[in-house]
Amino acid sequence: MTDPRIRASMRYPNDLTVPGMWHARLVRSPYAAARVTGIDASLVPQDVVVLTPSEVEPLGRYGCQISDQHVLAGVARHVGDPVVAVAAADEATAREAASLVEVSYEELPVVFDERDALRAGAPLVHDTRAVSDGDAAYFGLRPIEGTNVCHRFRIRTAGLPQGEPYTADPEPDDHAEGFDGAQVIVDETFRMPAVQHVAMEPHACIAGWRDGRLEVTTGTQTPFNMRQDLARLFGLPDTDVRVVCPPMGGSFGAKTFVRNEAIAAAVARRLDRPVRLALDREEEFVTLTRHAATVRVRLGAARDGRFVAKRVWCWVNTGAYADCGPGVAMKMGYAGVGPYRFDHVAVDSFCVYTNLPPAGAFRGYGAAQSVWASERVTDLMAAELGVDPVELRRRNLLVDGDRFCTGETMHDVHFQELLDDAARAVDWQPGGDNRGKGVAVMLKGMQTPSRAEVGLRRVDDGRFEVLSGTTEMGQGSAKAIARLAADLLGVDADQVEVPPPDTDRVPYDTRTTSSRSTHMMGRALEAAVDDLKNSGGDHGHGRIANEGGLDVDTGQGIASSHWHQGAAAAAVEVDDETGLLTLRSVHAASYAGRVVDRAAAELQQEGSMTMAIGTTLFEELTFDQGHVVGPNLSDYNIPSALDCAAVSQTLLEVEGAEVHGLGETALPPVPPAIGNALATLGYRPTELPLTPERVLGCAEDAS
Amino acid sequence: MTWMAPPTVAEAVRLKAEWPEATLVAGGTFVGILTRQGLLAGDDWISLQDVGELRELSTGSELALGAMVTHRRIELDPDVAAGWPGVRQVFAAVASPRVRNAATIGGVLGDADYASDPPAMLIALDAWVEALSVRGLRRVPVADLIVGHYQTSLEEDELITRVLVPRGRQHVTFRKLRTRSREDRPCVAVAASLHEGRVSVVVGAVAERPRRFPDLCATWDPADGASAGEIAAGYADRIDAIGDNRGSAAYRTRMIAVEVRRALDTLAPAALTAQAAAR
Amino acid sequence: MNLLLQVNGAPVQVDVEPGVMLLEVLRDRLGLPGARGTCGVGLCGTCTVLLDGEPISSCILLAPLAQGHAITTIEGVPDDDPVVRAFDRHHAFQCGYCIPGMVLTARSFLAECARARRCPSREQIAESLGGNLCRCGCYVKIIDAVQEVSS
Repeated sequence: MTDPRIRASMRYPNDLTVPGMWHARLVRSPYAAARVTGIDASLVPQDVVVLTPSEVEPLGRYGCQISDQHVLAGVARHVGDPVVAVAAADEATAREAASLVEVSYEELPVVFDERDALRAGAPLVHDTRAVSDGDAAYFGLRPIEGTNVCHRFRIRTAGLPQGEPYTADPEPDDHAEGFDGAQVIVDETFRMPAVQHVAMEPHACIAGWRDGRLEVTTGTQTPFNMRQDLARLFGLPDTDVRVVCPPMGGSFGAKTFVRNEAIAAAVARRLDRPVRLALDREEEFVTLTRHAATVRVRLGAARDGRFVAKRVWCWVNTGAYADCGPGVAMKMGYAGVGPYRFDHVAVDSFCVYTNLPPAGAFRGYGAAQSVWASERVTDLMAAELGVDPVELRRRNLLVDGDRFCTGETMHDVHFQELLDDAARAVDWQPGGDNRGKGVAVMLKGMQTPSRAEVGLRRVDDGRFEVLSGTTEMGQGSAKAIARLAADLLGVDADQVEVPPPDTDRVPYDTRTTSSRSTHMMGRALEAAVDDLKNSGGDHGHGRIANEGGLDVDTGQGIASSHWHQGAAAAAVEVDDETGLLTLRSVHAASYAGRVVDRAAAELQQEGSMTMAIGTTLFEELTFDQGHVVGPNLSDYNIPSALDCAAVSQTLLEVEGAEVHGLGETALPPVPPAIGNALATLGYRPTELPLTPERVLGCAEDAS
Repeated sequence: MTWMAPPTVAEAVRLKAEWPEATLVAGGTFVGILTRQGLLAGDDWISLQDVGELRELSTGSELALGAMVTHRRIELDPDVAAGWPGVRQVFAAVASPRVRNAATIGGVLGDADYASDPPAMLIALDAWVEALSVRGLRRVPVADLIVGHYQTSLEEDELITRVLVPRGRQHVTFRKLRTRSREDRPCVAVAASLHEGRVSVVVGAVAERPRRFPDLCATWDPADGASAGEIAAGYADRIDAIGDNRGSAAYRTRMIAVEVRRALDTLAPAALTAQAAAR
Repeated sequence: MNLLLQVNGAPVQVDVEPGVMLLEVLRDRLGLPGARGTCGVGLCGTCTVLLDGEPISSCILLAPLAQGHAITTIEGVPDDDPVVRAFDRHHAFQCGYCIPGMVLTARSFLAECARARRCPSREQIAESLGGNLCRCGCYVKIIDAVQEVSS
C-alpha cells in the first residue's frame, strides 16, 4: 500500500468542505498603523454578512504569551492586519464583497526597525501589556511598560550585575561584563531579515458551532494551545472547544497558535453555520513571518584561545503582535552563547514590537539568528588569534560534565564529534589552507518544561490505536509514533493506527514544536504500554514531563532537558565580479541519539538544509512603508531542485541514547558555515542573505 | 460571456476588430495569471487555440515561427538548433519545462515583460514580427516592437502572427545572471550575436525594454583586450537601470558592465577567426 | 459554456464560465483534489497536470483551452506505476503537497528520456523538476527516486 501522500488519497485542511458552509474573506489594513474611523459596507450585497471590529470587541484580546491581539483590529498595527470579515455562500461572492467594503483610517506614527523602536521618540505600537496566563506563557514574561519591549530575557552568570533594562545602543562595560581577563576582544553586529515560511499549503480552517460548542478543523501544530486560547476568547470551558487537525501541507511554524480561527469562529457564530477561511498566497506573507533580528556579539578570549567572556544583545523584531516572540527571544538569547565554556556570560534579548507583520515560530525558533552571529564571531576571533577555526572551537567546546551559561550541567553532548564529522566532509586541513571552507557548531534547546500524554487503545486482537496530540506536517510523526508503539507492543507497525489529533479524543500534549514530539511521545508511549500491560490489556495511558525552565532575570536554571546539537561545513566559490556565491558542498552533522525512522530523519535534515540555503543565499522579506515588497513566489524565491545539489548529512547515533529531535537541528549551523567560508575569500559578511549584491558590498577591499 | 475560437487568422482579426473589449487568448499563460489575480474581468474571449496556421514552424532562408508555437517546441526542434542556435538557447533558458510547454513566442513578445529572456535575443538576431489586422499585414522589427513597461507598438486590433528570424547567425551567446534561485528570473540578461563582422549586443531585464547601442557595438575590436570593457562601460552608463527584488539599480548598472564585457569576450575568438578568414 | 474534457482516459462534460481555470474544474467540479493551488501564478508546480503527456500549470490554464487534449491527473496514475513505487521506496515525500506535481512531471520526463534513449544525469533530472517547488526540501530523495526509474 503506497503512502497516501504520493497519489493524493488524503485530504489537507485546504481541501475540506462541510455541507452548508459559507466562505469568509478578510479586508485588511493598507496602513502599517492606523485607527479605523469608519466602515462603509453599503455596496456589499444584502445576503453577504459583514463582521466589524466593534462587534467582536467584547470578546477581548488573545495571544499565546502576551494578550495583544483583537479578533478584528479597530486599530490596525501592520499592513495586512484584518479589519473586517465578510462571508457569503460562495467564495467568488465573498471575494467580490470584500473588495466593496470601504474602510476609512486615521494614520498613526509607525516604526519598523527593531532598534529604532527602542530609541527615544519611537511611537508605541501598543499602549498596554497584558501577559497571557495560558499554557504557552510558561515562563516569566517581562514586558517593559512605556516601551516597545514586550519581553526581556537576560542571562548573567555568577557575579555579573544586571545592567540596563533595555537599550538599542549598548556601551559595553568590560569590567561589569567579565572581560577583564580577556586579552583579545572581537565585537561585531549582525542582522538576519524576516523571511516567510511559504508552506506549500496556505492556511485554511473551518469553524462551526454545535450545541454551544465550538468545533474547529484547521492546520495547526498547537491544538491544545489553540483550544485554550479560543475557549478563553469565547468564554467557554476548554472542553467546549474541539480542535481537529488533519495533516498539513507543510507548516514550519506558520500554523501555530490562533491564526485565523478566532475570526472564522466569530463569523460562524454570527451566521450560525460553518465558515471556511482560507488564505491566498499573498495573504500568507502578512500572516506570520520569521523574526528579523539584529544580534551583537562581543567575545573575549585569552591569547591561547581560551574563551573568557561573551556578551550578546539580541533585538528581536516581533512585528505588530508578540505571538510567541518572547519565547523565541529567550531561545535566541541562549543559543547565541553557543556550545562553549566561558568564565562569564551576559545576554540581553529584547522582543520588540514594530509595525511589521507579526513574527512567530519558524524552524529553528530563534537559534538561526543568533547562531549566525555567534559562529561568525568565533571565526573572527580565530582570525584575530591566528588559530585554525576548528581548533579554536575544539579548545572551548562543552563536554559532558561542563556547565552551560545557564548553570546546567551538560550531558550526552557530542559537539566535538559533530564538528569533526563536518570538517572531514569538506576535507578540512588542520592548520592548513582552508580557503573557501567554513564550519559552525551550535546547540538549540528543546521545549522545557513540557508535558506529553498519550492514550493507547486495543482495537481488536492484533490492532491498536494510539491517541496522540502530535500533529502531522510532513515530518512523519504518525509513522514514527506507530513504529515506536509497535516496537513496544511487539507487533508490526501496520497494526498500529495513529489518527490525526482531535482534542475531544486525544490527551494533552504541549504542542508539536521544538522537535520534541518523537522524543516525548516515545517516552509517553513507554509509560502507556506499561499501563496497558499492567491493567488488563485494552487501554493504556502514559504521561511524562520534562522539567526545568529558566529564571528569565538571570537566565539560570534548566534551559533544556536535553540538547539539539548540530555542526555544519561548507565549501564555496565566489565570482569576485558579480558576487555570485556557488556552493560546492554543504554538510550537516546532527546528533540523533537514536534514529527511529531513517528515511524520515534524513528528510528532516535535507529539508532543514534546503531551507537554510534559502535563508543564506537569497530569502528576505523587504518592506516599503510596512508593505511586503513582492508577496508572491516569483518575487520571493524559495530553493528549487537546482539550488541544493551539493548537500550531504550525517546522523550521529550513540548506543542506548535517547531519541533526539531532528526537525530543526540542521538549519542554524548552515548559514554561518557558508558565511565563514565566504569570509576566507576576502569578505566580511554580517548581513543575510548573501545575495551577490550583498557579497560585493562586504568585500574587504571594497572599491 | 462568450468564448470565440475562430479557425483562421483572418477570422481572428475580424473578430478582434468587432469585439474591441474581448481578451485575446494565445497560450493563455499571461491571460491566465491576470484573470486569476482578478486583474482581467473579461466577459468575452477570442481564443487562437484552433488557428492551425499559428502553430506552423518552418525553416528556409528565414526561421518562421507561428505566434502560437511554444517555447518548448522551439527548444526541442532539431532544425532550429542547427540553424538558429541563439533562438534555441534563449527559449530553453526560460523558467522550467512546464512553463515552456504553455508559453508561446507570440505571447512572450506581446506581453512585453521586462524580465523575459527571448526579446533580447530576437533583437540581437535582427528578428521581425508580422502583425495582422483587418487593415492588413505589417512587418515590425522586434527592436521596435517593445516600447515600454508591458507595452508594445502594436495597435489594439493587431495580433502577432509570425516571428521571422534571418539565417546565418551561428555565433551567439546568451548570458542570464540570476542572483537568487536558479529558477529566478534574470537580474541582467545579455544576448549577443555576430554577423558579417558586426556584433549586436542587447541587454534585457534591466530596464522597461531591451536596450541596444549599435554605435557602441560598432567600436568593438575583438583583438583589443580593453575594447569589450569600454563598450560594456558605455552600456552601463547609458542604461537607467531599474531596481527590484533581484537587484538594486546600482548593482544592475555594475553588472551590465560585467556581463556585456563577458558576452563580447565569449564571441571574440569567433570574431577573430572570421576576421582572419576574411583577409 | 459546455466543455467536453478527456480526463484520465474518460470523457466528462462540465458546464462552466469561460474564465474558469482547469484547476478549479478538476477540484471543485470533478472531485479531483490532487492538483493544488499554491502560488496562483503557475510557478510552483503543485497544480501540475499532464496535457497530452506534457506537464502544464492548471491554475492558469483557462478550462476551454483544455478541450481536445488528454488530461492526466495524479488520480489517473495507477498505484503500481514505477514512478509511484519509486517515490514510495525512497520515501521521496514529506508533507506531500507538491508530490502529485512531482510524480506527473517525472513521468513525463522519463517518457521523453525513454523516447530519446538517454539516461539522464542528476543535474538533468533536477532541471526537469526545477519548476516544481518543495518547501519541505525533498529534492535529494525525489531525484534519487527518478534516477532509479531511469536506469
